[in-house]
Amino acid sequence: MFDIIAVDISGRHMENDEYFMVCAAVSFSISPEHIDKTHKINIRHFISKNAPELTDVVTMVEKTVEGLDPQATIVMEAGDMYNRPQWLAASMFSRDFKYQESLGERRAIEIAHHISVSARRLLKNKCSFNLQSDRENIITK
Amino acid sequence: MKKVIIVQRTDPGSDELKNKRQLSEMKDLAYAGDYYVIGEMIQSRYPDRKYHLGKGKVHELAMAVESLNAVKVIFCNELSSLQLYNITEICKCAVIDKFQLILEIFALRATTRRAKLQVELARLKYEIPRARTIVSHLKKEERPGFMGLGGYEDSYEQDIKGRIARIKDELGHVQNHNESLRSFRHAHGLSLVALAGYTNAGKSTLFNAIMDENVAVEDMLFTTLSPVARSMDVMGRKVILTDTVGFIEDLPHWLIDAFRSTLDEIFFADIILLVVDASEPLDIMHNKLLTCHETLWEQVHDASMITVMNKTDLISRESLNEKMEALRYLIPNTVLISAKTMDGLDDLRQKIRDRLPIWKRKEISMPLSEHSMSVLSWLFKEGVVHSVKYADQIIVDLEAREEIMNKIQSFSVK
Repeated sequence: MFDIIAVDISGRHMENDEYFMVCAAVSFSISPEHIDKTHKINIRHFISKNAPELTDVVTMVEKTVEGLDPQATIVMEAGDMYNRPQWLAASMFSRDFKYQESLGERRAIEIAHHISVSARRLLKNKCSFNLQSDRENIITK
Repeated sequence: MKKVIIVQRTDPGSDELKNKRQLSEMKDLAYAGDYYVIGEMIQSRYPDRKYHLGKGKVHELAMAVESLNAVKVIFCNELSSLQLYNITEICKCAVIDKFQLILEIFALRATTRRAKLQVELARLKYEIPRARTIVSHLKKEERPGFMGLGGYEDSYEQDIKGRIARIKDELGHVQNHNESLRSFRHAHGLSLVALAGYTNAGKSTLFNAIMDENVAVEDMLFTTLSPVARSMDVMGRKVILTDTVGFIEDLPHWLIDAFRSTLDEIFFADIILLVVDASEPLDIMHNKLLTCHETLWEQVHDASMITVMNKTDLISRESLNEKMEALRYLIPNTVLISAKTMDGLDDLRQKIRDRLPIWKRKEISMPLSEHSMSVLSWLFKEGVVHSVKYADQIIVDLEAREEIMNKIQSFSVK
């Protein structure tokens, strides 16, 4: 078994003049072919006026993995790090870092991706619900 | 054997070891395609839109083709139809890229109707995005149709699309047949075990060693193209073992789609035996394992995986342990074997047996009658009978799947 933290960031595109990004970090114990255990999930959202750069991605990931197993290796998709070589990406993190390789790691990233997408949608919906209720309040007044 | 020159363009600053490995794999592919490599040319630059290499390098290539009497030039990189056309014009010989070479090899090896259809489908899928450009280049002097307003491009593209649809339809029938065969086998308690792995890992040799068969084996890429399935007995349990086509790095999606009905044998298996050539250097093993994991990803869901480290007779134990330690995050449930010397096959059978779907084990009693004897013979066929005692009743120690247990429950003496 290997301890990893699968990380995925959703919302790296402009929407309503801002980048509303949600980073999900999930701590797993995995084997090469499947996930054995899910330990803990951290979710954080970030808002930016500019497109995130590599250093911004690293900051978002570092902040999200805070409090998760410090011995675990951070695993991400190469695309999330703008396809930079692994040695370069790894040198920017304070923990061990690698790109996804085995089936187990890919499965873990897939789960982190579902979590970040769903959390982002939920946060977005929450905002729109608030707006709706405010309007109703205005009408009833 | 036909003489060929191999050409590789590498991006500046790219991984040199990887480039070397790709070039050497290309040579092996050329050998498998019945070609003899008489020269190689490497250029480090970003691709040119018209010639892929620099124009000067293409002229140098043309001179090499003439002096070495090469009949073909094979590029390691994918070429656009415009690049193919321009290079062919200058070199005055046939020019193909890696994927066309793979298609040629597949065409050479395709013996069954299904394999031939798959190769044809792959070729057409490769051709379709290029069809319009190729035809407009070839026919640029001609103006067909009434008053020269017609064109060949559309009709040729339509022809290809029509042929693709017909082949897909025919392969669909094969796929349906295979699916029903698979569900029939599952319903009869047969588990499916598939051999998967990088090409030339020794899958067919292992298949022959386990099954005592005589499937074609050669030290060459893509020796196996059509899957071969045989039933075997693994410590009392019957399984179907399938030998399949090997994986290769950067296999394009259209090729995987074309060979879907073959690869389904792996994707729907209960157990996948991932065969790895343990005698290769660590970085090559790592890259090949990555390719295997990437190909299996998204297709394989509930299958259990066993990593079969093959060709262990060619390396020392220390070196093997070092490799296994370095790659342990990519190799689940490892078994060390040598298919050639037949070492470790019993361990492999035991590993397969441990991972087969769990059957219930129970002692059942049946009345001593003629009908019970015929039921007993049926039980021998459907499950594993560990022991039979004949007393006032027939007491059978039976291991079988749930459906059989439920059926026999109604018949046994309470």
